[in-house]
Amino acid sequence: MIDVAHLTKQYGAKTAVDGVSFTVAPGRVTGFLGPNGAGKSTTMRMLLGLDRPTAGSVTVNGRAYRDAPAPLREVGALLEARALHPGRSARHHLRWLAASNRIPVARVDEVLGLVGLDAVAGTRVGTFSLGMGQRLGIAVALLGDPPVVVLDEPVNGLDPEGIRWVRTLARQLAAEGRTVFVSSHLMSEMALTADHLVVIGRGRILADCSMPDFIAAHAASFVRVRTPQTGPVTDLLRAAGAEVTPLDDELHVQGLDAAAVGELVGDTGLHLHELTLVRSSLEDAFMTLTAASVEYSARTGTDLAGASR
Amino acid sequence: MTVTAASSTVTLDPRRNVPGTRPGFSSTLQSEWIKFWSVRSTTWSAVMLFVLGAGLTALICATNAEWLASSEADESPGSFITSGMTFAQITAVVLGTLAVTAEYGTGMIRATLAATPRRGSVLAAKALVLTGTLFVLGTVTAFAGYFAGNWFLDREGIGLALTDDGVLRSMVGSGLYMAGLGLFAAAVGLLVRHTAAALSAVLALVFVVGTMAFLLPGAWGEWTAKLMPGNAGSPIAAPVPFNPELMAPWPGFAVFAAEVLALLAVAWVVFARRDA
Repeated sequence: MIDVAHLTKQYGAKTAVDGVSFTVAPGRVTGFLGPNGAGKSTTMRMLLGLDRPTAGSVTVNGRAYRDAPAPLREVGALLEARALHPGRSARHHLRWLAASNRIPVARVDEVLGLVGLDAVAGTRVGTFSLGMGQRLGIAVALLGDPPVVVLDEPVNGLDPEGIRWVRTLARQLAAEGRTVFVSSHLMSEMALTADHLVVIGRGRILADCSMPDFIAAHAASFVRVRTPQTGPVTDLLRAAGAEVTPLDDELHVQGLDAAAVGELVGDTGLHLHELTLVRSSLEDAFMTLTAASVEYSARTGTDLAGASR
Repeated sequence: MTVTAASSTVTLDPRRNVPGTRPGFSSTLQSEWIKFWSVRSTTWSAVMLFVLGAGLTALICATNAEWLASSEADESPGSFITSGMTFAQITAVVLGTLAVTAEYGTGMIRATLAATPRRGSVLAAKALVLTGTLFVLGTVTAFAGYFAGNWFLDREGIGLALTDDGVLRSMVGSGLYMAGLGLFAAAVGLLVRHTAAALSAVLALVFVVGTMAFLLPGAWGEWTAKLMPGNAGSPIAAPVPFNPELMAPWPGFAVFAAEVLALLAVAWVVFARRDA
């Protein structure tokens, strides 16, 4: 259980996290979603007692992280993948961490096997690929067998197989009753992993709801209708209270579901050539939600063409 | 690299915590010890310290023994018997700096502080591992240099006995001064958090600015020079210092130790408050 209450962090004049409150419950995967620079990592650093909040508080299992006698046995965290000394072996990296929290040395080899790094345990981590570094980071998070697991951008640098592995791992950890808090800037990844979603943009919470609720609230849907009798069908649907937008030879209908449209048109004897429920993707929904809060956005192609002329 | 099958990745029971007792300072100390010795740079620096310290002492004694025994000599053999240690001190500064700045350079400091949020404990453990290692290594190296260098001095009939005035003190003093220099460098490293910046600042202050300070005019200039960390701390590491203007060994070392501890206190205050 993670409790974030009115958490604020300012760096000089810049407010990175702005009065954020939410709860991460055990037994499910909570996704922490936001564009780059939204305040995800800052929030996670405050959660781990690394950065001091300007105001507000964050507690893990009822107390501040700094007050935990053996924090690695309570909260396992994957920080940025390269928080490693390149000259140290994977086993030694885990061994000093284990020693600091009195975790038995046997557990080091256990987690190395768990993340599939046992074959390279004695190799200096400077030679690791980004994906291998990420696996070692996950081994660090699992070292203390903690009831709370915090993963900051865990799929960064992983190949598709690795991404699926992290996804399965997160779901399994949650199924075991642990609190799992995963940050990402990829909506598509969250859609497959998270049960609950906390969306942050420019340091503020934009959404805090279950995944199905998020989809219902933010992923717009409409019914696509194709008919040779555009005029009469439009009039009919509008009369029934629907919002109809003609587009080429299609009609986009909102306010009536596909079944209602089909029955209405069928009763009058008019013809339909297509009747489809169209959902905009979650990625689109996320983009729409955070559009106003993206810190750095790319210029469009036409702008670039204009600039280079 | 093979991937563990997804079905076998997790077999953990959430209600089972990893067995183990509450970690204390000894855990932090053990952790820092493993960290210190599990990178190659430590082994290399330790070897370099020994080779430079003992080897150069032997070399300098060998090449100067004849002159020292002659009537032209205006220096004491006691100045030469730990002379190689001056160069070995550079590696002590490197070791002290890297013990701290390597963590900032790699971002590993966050892993350290997530594992041990009590920052005072982290700093104390680091300091103890560093000073302990440097004291033992410095003392052993000074003895090795003494035995090697004295062999050449003995041949010219100007050898020093371990019981001679200040000889034994300079052996242990070499270890103490090494430990102090390493700690000084670590404190600077903690303040500036950059390897190159910390290294050049300490090396310049101890080996360049300290020597140049003797050019300052008047009584205040003389005392400024005497109180510079390298000038105050180094007399303890030689039976007879090259520079006769330096402070006496133990008062000088007391000044040096006070300077190191004062800087360390500042670094600790900053470290305890700063965002990692």
